[in-house]
Amino acid sequence: MNVNGASVPALSLQRVRKVYAMGDSEVVALDDVDLEVAPGEIVALVGPSGSGKTTLCSIAGAILSPTSGRVVVAGTDISGFNPKQLTAVRRDLVGFVFQSVNLVPFLTARENLLVVDEIGKRTGAPARARADQLLGELGLADRAKNLPAQLSGGQRQRVAIGRALMNDPKLVLFDEPTSALDSKLGMAVMELIQQEMKARGTAAIVVTHDERITRFCDRSVHMDDGRITKS
Amino acid sequence: MFLALKELQRAKVRFGLLIAAVALLVFLILFQQSLQNGLLTSFVGAIRNQSAEVLVYRTDGRRILQGSVISPDLEAMVRSSGAAAEVARIGQGTFTVTPGEGGDGVPIETSILGYEDPGLGAPTTLVEGRLPEGPGEAVASDADAELGFGVGDTVTVLPGGLDITVVGLARDVQLNVTPTLFVTYDTYVQSVRSRNPDAGEPLPNVLALRAPPDVPADRLVDQVNGLSDELDTLTRADAADKAPGVAQVRQSFQVIFLLYGFVVPLVTGLFFLIITFQKASALTLLRAIGAPARTLLTSLLVQVVVVLGGGLLLGIGLYAALVRGRIGGIPLRFETTAVLVWTALLVAGGLLSSLFSARRVMALDPYAATTGAGVGS
Repeated sequence: MNVNGASVPALSLQRVRKVYAMGDSEVVALDDVDLEVAPGEIVALVGPSGSGKTTLCSIAGAILSPTSGRVVVAGTDISGFNPKQLTAVRRDLVGFVFQSVNLVPFLTARENLLVVDEIGKRTGAPARARADQLLGELGLADRAKNLPAQLSGGQRQRVAIGRALMNDPKLVLFDEPTSALDSKLGMAVMELIQQEMKARGTAAIVVTHDERITRFCDRSVHMDDGRITKS
Repeated sequence: MFLALKELQRAKVRFGLLIAAVALLVFLILFQQSLQNGLLTSFVGAIRNQSAEVLVYRTDGRRILQGSVISPDLEAMVRSSGAAAEVARIGQGTFTVTPGEGGDGVPIETSILGYEDPGLGAPTTLVEGRLPEGPGEAVASDADAELGFGVGDTVTVLPGGLDITVVGLARDVQLNVTPTLFVTYDTYVQSVRSRNPDAGEPLPNVLALRAPPDVPADRLVDQVNGLSDELDTLTRADAADKAPGVAQVRQSFQVIFLLYGFVVPLVTGLFFLIITFQKASALTLLRAIGAPARTLLTSLLVQVVVVLGGGLLLGIGLYAALVRGRIGGIPLRFETTAVLVWTALLVAGGLLSSLFSARRVMALDPYAATTGAGVGS
């Protein structure tokens, strides 16, 4: 099922629909969405609150299952996957940076990266080397032993980026990665995201409602009322 | 394991306090178990650890050795029935005694228990010396050795001044929480006459029976009880367990143990439930980035085992260190069986109580990480 190769899209959504039951009525969060993200491509997903950006991201990241439609991540069709299989997809194929500060509070910066290996392949020494390399690249080598509470907001976000890259994912999903940061720091983080993704050829979707973010992306996709309105 | 140990490492005080709380409870349970056993042994150890397998009380004696008096006609009835292979007298009384040199010289109330036949009433738990072989000799409870009832000590029955020399010590043979002396029946009679020279031949308090070969003790009990309503015949174990107050003491402690049995798992379960709620955001994040629920459950279980194991080890260590000597005449000792039983019960209860936290972990929705509801710093 998994097809490797540069031409395989990092993400392919075909007529994806997500409907929530709300009592007797239904709420359509995604309405027949089609989207394709090429390997190494950075896509900005822009739209107002409630437009379906996070739902789309969650389906793309195997956190939610679609009501209907086809979801293919790095050549793997995950549309009919059960929760256990979806967990494996999140662990092996996708990286996440969530909107809120998102580190495990009782783990150091380095351990927050290593936890990805601990819950996955458990490679040991190679994982430790990769964590150290990533922390170095992100300018956090001297903060490796710090707990999240001892880091600034920008440093925490950089650690989260490092964690998202630990499993060498095909696709990284950034949900409002700069919303908790001031403008200057936000732009610096976006610049870092752009560098890291391009350096690795990793595809990314950056959910944002800040138009300034889009200049760091290859293209922008606009959403409204669960539909892609402009691509 | 990685997650469990890292969290334990970073929250030493929190987990340390819980381990200390569990240890304290374990210590209290085990200490009270020793106290219960010591108390019961001090009350009825002399009955439980003597050689007669069946004892015949008089019904109106209400199963109190000293309160039971076997009249000559009742004794004759038992002897002539042929139900028992052997019948022997046991007499028991409480005397004021001046302890030997090892004691402080202050007269002390002492139980003296006289038996006719060493096979029917002598102590079975001799730990030092020998059984009495002649008049004026006794085996004492080893718990009272330091009070002037050690081997070689001579105690004096007041007011007559009869001297009795301790020639042996037996374990767990106290009666009514007093120093206890096992003597020959003749020495017992001399003790009674020493206290009251006008006393005639004292009547036995109970009769000790040996069952014929191939007759179980229970059947002998039924046969002798069938002879007369005035006879209350009991096996050795029943005579100890059904002595007045024993059941009540045991019941009171059982209520306490039951409460402790609930408190330890409850404390452990609540603690882990609280910290599961507190770290729900981190657990949700881990689920969102691909941690299988099994990994998080394993982490929870490792922590439960560490807390329970640590608490048990500390509690048992404290118990081993402190459960020595006596409290108000009640001997305390390390109860290995109690340690094993309570360890099994508390581990099982603790793991069972952690199921609430496990259910909470299983119910975590990784989608909460995307809304920020389950994610924290």
